[in-house]
Amino acid sequence: MAKAFKVKLNGQHELTVDASQGSLLEALEQHQIDVHYHCRNGFCGACRTKLICGKVKYTSEPLAFIRKGDILPCCCIADSDIEIEH
Amino acid sequence: MSYSTFSQEQSDPLKEPMFFGHSVNVARYDQQKHSIFEKLIEKQISFFWRPEEVDVSRDRVDFNKMTDSEKHIFISNLKYQTLLDSVQGRSPNIALLPIVSIPELETWIETWSFYETIHSRSYTHILRNLFSDPSEVFEDIVINEQIKKRAADISRYYDDLIFYTQLWQTQGEGQHEVDGEVHNVTMRELKKKLFLCINSVNALEAIRFYVSFACTFAFAERELMEGNSKIIRLIARDENLHLVSTQHILNLWQYGEDDPEMKEIAEELRDDAYNIFMTAVEQEKEWAHYLFRDGSMIGLNEDMLCQYVEYIANLRMEAIGFDAPFENRRSNPLPWMNKYLVSDNVQVAPQEAEISSYLVGQIDSEVSAADLGDFDL
Ligand code: FES
Ligand SMILES: [Fe+2]
Ligand SMILES: [Fe+2]
Repeated sequence: MAKAFKVKLNGQHELTVDASQGSLLEALEQHQIDVHYHCRNGFCGACRTKLICGKVKYTSEPLAFIRKGDILPCCCIADSDIEIEH
Repeated sequence: MSYSTFSQEQSDPLKEPMFFGHSVNVARYDQQKHSIFEKLIEKQISFFWRPEEVDVSRDRVDFNKMTDSEKHIFISNLKYQTLLDSVQGRSPNIALLPIVSIPELETWIETWSFYETIHSRSYTHILRNLFSDPSEVFEDIVINEQIKKRAADISRYYDDLIFYTQLWQTQGEGQHEVDGEVHNVTMRELKKKLFLCINSVNALEAIRFYVSFACTFAFAERELMEGNSKIIRLIARDENLHLVSTQHILNLWQYGEDDPEMKEIAEELRDDAYNIFMTAVEQEKEWAHYLFRDGSMIGLNEDMLCQYVEYIANLRMEAIGFDAPFENRRSNPLPWMNKYLVSDNVQVAPQEAEISSYLVGQIDSEVSAADLGDFDL
């Protein structure tokens, strides 16, 4: 099993995710979180999320501009325990 | 500074700003200042599609069963989209190619515009199927007050930049009088016009299509006009790429990763940029009002559409460094929209309306398999 990490979401939910759940976006969906997305492919930026602390790893190269402090959960996975605002 | 189609002057494209540097001479892509534009070109080309591949013939039956108010919604949206793509099919080329100064961005602009012409051609494909003579629909685009109002705002910033660029290229910097009006042409002024223009294009690609997308997909939710919906999904996928390119340009300026003067201008004109976006938001809401003036359609009304515009505007504004203007619109009021905007679904699952090229491919492969079976090799 892939290594599990904790995700703190919007300062309230505490979830556990691991890479076998797919992208961070898919992992959030599996926890019934209402997520924002369009392309699910890293090129529209609709899934833009604030990374407050921790690290993520991109599984494919995103084409959307990633502003400082943002991540695109449709094409990355957690690489440590993370705190995000989505 | 007159434009040359092949400047003999030597320059290092890796040191050029995106715009207003030396004009591009050698179209080379082995090295890139902003490699993102090369990646966008590749992605966009990989999305190639032809309107004729999508079978829209069954839409005619659906269309004829629609109520008058639904027909008004459907046709008005097509008119508005036709306007948008008419502008976008030419304007990035005319306004931006004369001033672009890195090859990867130059080619991105050409690629981008080319796809807008595919969109335009697809509206003809859709309308030809619905009407034996679609002239009336096309002709109304330059008469219809609601559309004209939007057209004026969309083309204004492009036209202004084009005009100033022409003055600059023929007469250089300075005060130039044209038809009794004095124009103060300076590099700073040109760059400001460019900044406003890119913001206006960004707003166009970011939200101006989404009211009509929502209507199209609301019909598709009821299994109506599915050929049309298939085409609009392909268009929506392209528009996302276009949007990402304007967001990149704006962010590169803002972060000082390109022309330092553009960074100053981005700060100086921040309020104007904000207002351009918010005006587009207001116009889209008014458009929703106009669409539903004779009645709404099942699954969608003016209120929901306006909420959706606000929801999308939040996402788009944050992408270019503004705070979300509609704080209370954080959740998606039309969650079913997303499944039509997922890029993978577009080609992988042709679903209801089949893409005829797939069928052709299938038939071909069946035939050749059978043929081969008869041969004793
Ligand atoms: S959903 Fe499009 S970039 Fe993530
Ligand atoms: Fe388009
Ligand atoms: Fe576009």
